[in-house]
Amino acid sequence: MNKTIKTVFNMVAGAAFLSMSASALAEPLKIGYSDWPGWVAWQVAIDKGWFKQAGVDVKFEWFDYSASMDAYSAGKIDGVLMTNGDALVTGSAGGKSKMIMLTDYSDGNDMIVAKPGIKSLKELKGKKVAVEEGLVEHLLLLDGLKKAGMKPSDVTLVNAKTNSMPQVLGSGEVAAIGAWQPVAGEAMRALPGSRPIYTSADEPGLIYDVLAVSPASAAMHKAEWLKVLKVWDRVVHYINDPKTQPDAVKIMAARVGVSPATYLPLLKGTHLLDLAAGKKIFAAKTGFGSLYGSSKVADDFNVANGVYKTHQDLNDYIDGALMKAVK
Amino acid sequence: MNTIAKWLASDADPAFRKRTLFGIGSFLLPMLVWSMVSYVPWVWHPKMEITNPGGVDFLQVGMLVDKSMFRDQVADMEKQHLAVPQGTPANPIYLPAPDQVAKALYNGIFHPPKDTDVPSMPASLWHSIQVIFWGFLISSVIGVPLGILSGTYKSFGRLTEPFIEFFRYLPAPAFGALAVAILGIYDGPKIAIIVIGTLFQQVLIIANTTRKLETTLIEAARTLGTRNFKLLTRVVVPGIMPDLYRDQRILLGWAWTYLIVAELIGTSTGITWFITQQARYQHFDNVYAGIITIGILGFGTDLVLARLGRKLFPWDRTQDRS
Repeated sequence: MNKTIKTVFNMVAGAAFLSMSASALAEPLKIGYSDWPGWVAWQVAIDKGWFKQAGVDVKFEWFDYSASMDAYSAGKIDGVLMTNGDALVTGSAGGKSKMIMLTDYSDGNDMIVAKPGIKSLKELKGKKVAVEEGLVEHLLLLDGLKKAGMKPSDVTLVNAKTNSMPQVLGSGEVAAIGAWQPVAGEAMRALPGSRPIYTSADEPGLIYDVLAVSPASAAMHKAEWLKVLKVWDRVVHYINDPKTQPDAVKIMAARVGVSPATYLPLLKGTHLLDLAAGKKIFAAKTGFGSLYGSSKVADDFNVANGVYKTHQDLNDYIDGALMKAVK
Repeated sequence: MNTIAKWLASDADPAFRKRTLFGIGSFLLPMLVWSMVSYVPWVWHPKMEITNPGGVDFLQVGMLVDKSMFRDQVADMEKQHLAVPQGTPANPIYLPAPDQVAKALYNGIFHPPKDTDVPSMPASLWHSIQVIFWGFLISSVIGVPLGILSGTYKSFGRLTEPFIEFFRYLPAPAFGALAVAILGIYDGPKIAIIVIGTLFQQVLIIANTTRKLETTLIEAARTLGTRNFKLLTRVVVPGIMPDLYRDQRILLGWAWTYLIVAELIGTSTGITWFITQQARYQHFDNVYAGIITIGILGFGTDLVLARLGRKLFPWDRTQDRS
């Protein structure tokens, strides 16, 4: 009897030790992704086994967007897909990261949608606009107002959750809302005659989407991340090639649970960036053509709106070394 | 009229057949309301589904528009001598008809999408059941003994209950980020939220049940020399067992209600993932199919447990009624 207990104990202890040492040796890179076309794109590589082919062990975990950033901040995943602006917000609260590559920029998928009868931003003067304060659509609205020669105080902001925007617009209490796809499309279907009056296609580069990884992982697993970057290049070419695009869209649509036909327009509002295109955007310049320029605008916006108090040092966040290393 | 009155009055000792009839009726009535709202065109139907956009440039086939707006557009087109838009009355997209939901339920269970590692509805549900199971088990392992002790010993109750009373008002989902930081991104934090949501109520409810045990029983046992641990195992626990069993049944339902918030924490999994993902792309037939599966599962479990209760505690008449 005593002996059996001992054996069992040894087995359990041995198994625990084995699993611990195994995890220390070959822990896969964990990446959090969520429902945005530029990130769902990774599903193509996952389903086709391209990471294995490239010889890199990664594990993609599907989250709600904000939950993915929470998990990253808590140090539970090595990398997360988010916007450059949100990388700064997450970092200001302690979840520092390195943006090592770009997946895409929003090319129309973020929009200000006005109720029927309103055709331009100028007509919003003195009216109410609903946005989720501090998030990208808020930034998009301010950018649009500036371009239209208006002041932020020319409109009255109403703070609402992005997911509830279709109902907010439908209520008729506001003149316009800010939302991204698929919520924006839902809002327009719910209120026929409403239309986008300003979108991210009017200011490409206002919102970049990046793969942000923990500084420790970026330093320790350079070779692995480099392989991940190369897989991404393959994904972009597979999706953009008219011959393989239907297959890619089928995979992506299955991930989010819609038909490929429904998904295609959402993909079109996202401009995927292969590594060659990404390299140019990684160059330190001002303006929306550069990740630095875009992040600078986001940083100023965040400080001005009290999202965080002190300016973030962009050089801490943007790490182009891997992009440079790819041949 | 008289027969109806007789029927209702017979509630105290209902024949099995009548009981079954009432049971079926309680489901048929809401179904009838749902079907009326869905299929009878003049009941509700606040929208028009466009079948022909006519001369209106922004309308498309299949679009849902408000009736008032539809009327305005018809009047407008008539004035301009253009083609008048046509449509049929429809409900908002948020309320699918029963047959659509039934179809979605059938397809979800028997024809899940293939060639993908995305979990199907049954797989999602199975994941949720496991989370509930562990959450409720852990909560019970702590909560039941704590509740019995609090109910039996006054001083123990005074030491634990004020804090528990306080803590049960704290919203369990608010601990989500902390749970992720401690327990990781998988099922750990989800189970923790269910435990936090259930445990504190559990202790209080069970303590209360324990207090309701007839004091004469305890006094008699004490007089006969039963002390401490033996008093608990031989008198208190057997005495409250049927009520404890019923409390646990109710608390299990409680745990289910926390599932929806728990599963939004960490990686998206389970039936909540299925429901929110489908809602985001407005597949409300699938959403309701998911919701109904939870209902069937919860109700089914409870029926089985109720029946088991009658077998386990044949002397307890209250088990019959619940």
